[in-house]
Amino acid sequence: MLNAAKLYTIAGMTLALSCASAAPSAAGTLESVKQRGVLQCGVSEGLFGFSERNGVGDWSGFDVDFCRSVAGAIFDDQSKVAFVPLSAGERFEALRTGRIDLLSRNSTWTLEREAGLGLAFAGITYHDGQGFMVMRDLNVSSALELDRATVCVESGTTSQLNLADFFRANSMNYEERAFPSAAEALAAFETGQCKVLTRDQSALYAERLKLPRPSAAVILPDVISKEPLGPVTRADDPAWFTLVKWVNFALVNAEELGISSRNVAEATASHKPAVRRFAGLEGGLGRLLGLEDAWALRAVQAAGNYAEIYERNLGVESRLGIPRGLNQLWNMGGVLYAPPLR
Amino acid sequence: MRTCDDRIVSPSAALALVFGFSLAVCLPNAADAQAAPKPVIQETLQIGDEPGRISTEEVVITDGPYARQVVFFRSNEVPGTLVIHTSERFAYLVQGNNRALRYGIGVGREGFQWSGLVRVSRKAEWPDWRPPPEMIARQPYLPRFMAGGSGNPMGARALYLGSTVFRIHGTNQPETIGHAISSGCFRLANGDVIDLYERVPLGTKVVVRQGSSL
Repeated sequence: MLNAAKLYTIAGMTLALSCASAAPSAAGTLESVKQRGVLQCGVSEGLFGFSERNGVGDWSGFDVDFCRSVAGAIFDDQSKVAFVPLSAGERFEALRTGRIDLLSRNSTWTLEREAGLGLAFAGITYHDGQGFMVMRDLNVSSALELDRATVCVESGTTSQLNLADFFRANSMNYEERAFPSAAEALAAFETGQCKVLTRDQSALYAERLKLPRPSAAVILPDVISKEPLGPVTRADDPAWFTLVKWVNFALVNAEELGISSRNVAEATASHKPAVRRFAGLEGGLGRLLGLEDAWALRAVQAAGNYAEIYERNLGVESRLGIPRGLNQLWNMGGVLYAPPLR
Repeated sequence: MRTCDDRIVSPSAALALVFGFSLAVCLPNAADAQAAPKPVIQETLQIGDEPGRISTEEVVITDGPYARQVVFFRSNEVPGTLVIHTSERFAYLVQGNNRALRYGIGVGREGFQWSGLVRVSRKAEWPDWRPPPEMIARQPYLPRFMAGGSGNPMGARALYLGSTVFRIHGTNQPETIGHAISSGCFRLANGDVIDLYERVPLGTKVVVRQGSSL
């Protein structure tokens, strides 16, 4: 029994090793990125606030800025990114085959995607979740007040299933109006066929902009499902995975420490130990990642800290106007929590 | 960083405040040296206070980020606590169940921003305004006293914060919400401060937080 198990283990390890060497760009992603001089970053073909390209081909968005932060940490130059627009269907294959180094494309972190596809999610950059949009004159401030409401939803989606679960769990009744597309569901909401529209919250904020009078509708604060979005790497390069993960942590820590793209010079003159470690003046942490010690500061310099990136692309002053909500720091009312840089 | 006095006000101190406070506006003055650790006699408002300017009496911000709205807000504070995030320009009235009623605010300009734990020590409707001497020195045309009313820069309601010289008040300039212009006070549009006033009883715990600094 023991012997057999040992044998399987050895066989498994051999198999894993041979697989690893057969993969197009197994280990050493950082080295190949440095040699190439540019980061290949997979993004969405177009998603308001997350990934957009303007008329002259400039990219902007929350997911786009994360690519720039990683490029900043590696090259001290946020422009050294080649953005690769990918459809939902091709995104993971593009990563597996080595066409891109990093996928930053509003992808939900699930067990199936990690264990089934050989991918590794390098943390969560945006905590999305299903929510509800209602007309303001309904005077509702919580999803728990939606008993007996008529709810529009796109059919065949997890949103439709979550909707049923939520109402049943809270002993409430509702009348469902399901539509084959999101556009039709929105049109039904707009024409008053239903009082409530349900989708992922980030999408609801984008949909609200399409209404003739966006301010007539409100998005309730309740979140009824978990849709954690984050950057994805291949699972066969743990060093690269760690680097990407810590760039995300650095952006969150920067906000918490008060380090932004506007005060980088001040940060290098700070006497606070945590700020000095962040700036690479102490600790020698960059070398552990294969980067220079100022890597974290350079990541912030590229596109700003987490708050700057959020506010520019999604936040209350942007067109989408999404409150920080879950995506606020852990000590400010949200759930963003990054391990310390030390 | 200058912080406000964070003592919980005793009943007698609160009583003293009722009588002593009519002098203070938002600037610390000599009488309030105890409340303000360092004498801060500086600029108050870069834009004029425009006394006499009549805003619509009960302006409520209905659109955009500074509109009053229920938001997700995870907090260990008990429902009813008011949490002010100066860097965000928001005040959160904790509601429980991970929600809060959020108001857009104008906050103290840089250098006047403070943090601490205080309690609502007094409430006033249409408070009077007595610009402190420093302010009159700089803006001699300001009135020495202005009775509460629709043209008063203090606005429709005031919530006094502990034994500090700071307060949450209304404004006759609702367009200043979202900016850092007052001298340490928190200002809301008149309609919104009336709404908050109704929801916040005397003794309410107020937590003032600001972003971290280098």
